[in-house]
Amino acid sequence: MKSALLVTAVVATLASAGAAAAHANPGVVGLLAALAFAAIAAWAGAAAVLLEAPDDCTEPRHRPASSDEGDEIVTRAGVFGRLWAGVIGALALAGIVPLISLGRRARTAGGTAWTRGARLVTPEGRPVHFDDISLGGVTTVFPEGHVDAPEAAAVLIRVEDNAMLTNHAWAPRGNVAFSKICTHAGCPVAIYRRADYLLYCPCHQSEFSVLFGARPIAGPATRALPQLGLDIGPDGYLIARGDFSGPVGPDDWNRPA
Amino acid sequence: MITRRLGRFFDERLGSAAVLRTAFQKIYPDHWSFYLGEFALYCFMLLVATGVWLTFVYEPSPRDAYTSVAALGRNDPIGYLMRQVHHWSSVVFVAAIVLHLGRIFFTAAFRKPREINWVVGVLLLALASLTGFTGYSLPNDALSGTGLRIGISVALSVPFIGAWTSNLLNGGAYPGPLLLPHIYTIHVFFLPVTIGLLLGLHLGMLVLHKHTQFERDETVVVGRRFYPDYLLRTIAALGATVAVIVALSSTVEINPIERYGEYKEWLVPNPAVPDWYAGWLDGALRLGPAVEWRILGHPVPAVFWPGVVLPSLALMLVIAWPWIDARLTRDSAYHDVLVPPSAAPWRVGVGAALIAAGVVLTLAASDDEQALALHVPVIVLVWLYRLAFAFGTLGIGFIAAIFANEVHVRRARRGAESERVVVLKRNEHGGFEEETGTPA
Repeated sequence: MKSALLVTAVVATLASAGAAAAHANPGVVGLLAALAFAAIAAWAGAAAVLLEAPDDCTEPRHRPASSDEGDEIVTRAGVFGRLWAGVIGALALAGIVPLISLGRRARTAGGTAWTRGARLVTPEGRPVHFDDISLGGVTTVFPEGHVDAPEAAAVLIRVEDNAMLTNHAWAPRGNVAFSKICTHAGCPVAIYRRADYLLYCPCHQSEFSVLFGARPIAGPATRALPQLGLDIGPDGYLIARGDFSGPVGPDDWNRPA
Repeated sequence: MITRRLGRFFDERLGSAAVLRTAFQKIYPDHWSFYLGEFALYCFMLLVATGVWLTFVYEPSPRDAYTSVAALGRNDPIGYLMRQVHHWSSVVFVAAIVLHLGRIFFTAAFRKPREINWVVGVLLLALASLTGFTGYSLPNDALSGTGLRIGISVALSVPFIGAWTSNLLNGGAYPGPLLLPHIYTIHVFFLPVTIGLLLGLHLGMLVLHKHTQFERDETVVVGRRFYPDYLLRTIAALGATVAVIVALSSTVEINPIERYGEYKEWLVPNPAVPDWYAGWLDGALRLGPAVEWRILGHPVPAVFWPGVVLPSLALMLVIAWPWIDARLTRDSAYHDVLVPPSAAPWRVGVGAALIAAGVVLTLAASDDEQALALHVPVIVLVWLYRLAFAFGTLGIGFIAAIFANEVHVRRARRGAESERVVVLKRNEHGGFEEETGTPA
C-alpha cells in the first residue's frame, strides 16, 4: 500500500515532465505534478501514523538568561562604550549623505507636453474637430506628436454651449478638457456620467463636477482636475491654449498646488 | 555505503554527526495549529524555486516587461505553471503567515522569552506583503501598473521624504525609466534576502527557546522525536502544501494579465482590485477623508492618513503587542505553556476587533461593485463602512470577548464536574450510599 503511493509519485512525476515536454495543456501537466506531491504527502503521513511512535517523549527546557559571571569586564568598559557610541553615531550620520544623493535627481520641471497651439489628437493620432464629439460624448486626447506622453493625457468632453459655469472661454462650442490623471492617487479618471456631468475615478470613487471646472464633489480627492484651456484653430480643429491650469496628478510635500 | 562515507567525511571536518544526532533527538509537540508556520515556510521555498526560474525569462524594462510575462501563456505549459505557482504561492504564503500569527496571538505564545521572535515574525509578514506587492507590479499590466501608480502616490504623500522616495524609485519623476528595474531588484534581491535572513533568525530562536505547547509541565517539552516521526510529518506537510498550490495553479488561473492588457497610465481596467492582502490598504484609501492639510505651507495629501499613518500605527501596535499584553496582564514571567484562547477573553476581543477592522477595510475595497449590485450610491456604502470601521469593530470585539468568556466558564464548570469524585460505600444492609466528606 505504502509503496504503491511512492510508485504513484514516481510515475506521476515522470508523466508530468513528459506532458510538459510534449507541450500538453498546463492543467494536465500541473495536476500530474500535484498528484505526485499528494502521493508523497500521503506516503509520509501514512508512514508517520503507522510508526506508532510515542508522542510523549520529553526533553528539559532551559532559561536563556546567562549567569552574572564575568559581568565586571563589561561594566569596567564605560569609557570605551561611550566613545564607540560617538563613532558609530557619526558613521551613521555620515551614511545619510549618500542616501540623500540617491533621491535628489530633479523632477521634470512640472509641465507636460501641452504647449500653446498644440492640436488635440486621439490615442490613434487623429486630430479632433470641434464638432467631432457629439453632445455628452467623451474621448481621451494627447498633444499632437506626443501620444502616450506621460501625464499629458486629457479627457475631452462635449457639453452644451455655454453650459460651463467656470472659464467659458476655455470651452469653445462646449468642448472642455481636463487632465485624466486623478489628483488623489494618480489613477486615470476614466468614466464620464453624462446625466450629471460627473467625471468618476474607478480606483477610489472620487467624483469631479465638469460644469464647475472638475471640482471634486465626492470621494477622497481634494483638488480639481487641472483644466486644459481649448481654442478652435483656423481649420476648425481643437488646439490647446497652453499647458494645464495646474500641476497634474497627486500633490506632495515639495509640490504645493 | 555512500551516505556513511559522506557522513564520516563531514563529521571528521565539522563534527556534524553530533549536531545531527541532537537534531534528530529534538522533540516536537504535536498540534494541528503548529503546522501553519511550516506551510508558510514551504510556500517560501516554492516561491524561491519558481522565482529563480522566472528571473531567466523576465525582462525588467518598461518596454519589454509586459511581453516577457505575457509570453508565459497556456501554450508554454512550464512557463505558465511557473508563473501561476509563483503567484498562487505568494497569496497562500501571506495567508499562512497571517494564520500562524493568529495562532501565536490567541494562544499567547509571544510571552517572555519569545517577544523578539514575535517581532521578527511580524516583520516577516510585512516583508512578505511588500514582496508580494512588488512582484505583482512586475508584469506591468494595466491592473498592476495602476496599483504601482497608487503606491507611488502614497509614497509621495509622506512629508519631507515623499518626493525623495519617489525620485529614488523612479530615477526621476514618475513614470521614470528606472521604476521597473528598481522594483525588480527590490523584489528579487533586497526583500527575499532579508526574508531569508529573518527566517533564519526566526527558526534559530525557535530552536533556542524550544516549542511552546498546551497544558503540560512547564519544565519539559513533550512531543514526538524529529527522526523519523516528525520528519515524516513535516514531509507530509511539505507535500500537501506543494500539491494544493500546484493543483490550484493548474485549475484556477490567477492574475490573467492578457485580459488586462499592457499598462498605459491613461487606461485602467474597471473594476480594479489588488491581491487579497493589499485589499485593506486600498479600502482605507477609499474611506479616508478628503482633507489636504497644510503644514508650514506644504501640502499633506489626503492619501497620507489612510495610506501611511493607518498601516504604520497598525504595524506598531502589532509589534508592541507582547509588551502591551505583559502590561495589561501584569505578567512578565517566563511562559512556555500556551493558554487556550478562551482563557483570556479580552485578548480574544482585541484580536477579533483587529480582524474585523481588516475585513471591513478589505470589503470597502470593492464598495463600487457592491454599490452597483445593490443599486445604492457609493457614498452610502462609504459611510456605512466608516461607521463599521469605527464602531462595528468594537462591537465585534465585545461579542467575541463575551463568547470566549462563556466558553471558558463552561469549560471550567465541566472540568470541575469531572474532578468531583463520588465514593460509594456498601452499608450493612447490602445497599450503597455516598461517602460524605472529601476523599483522601
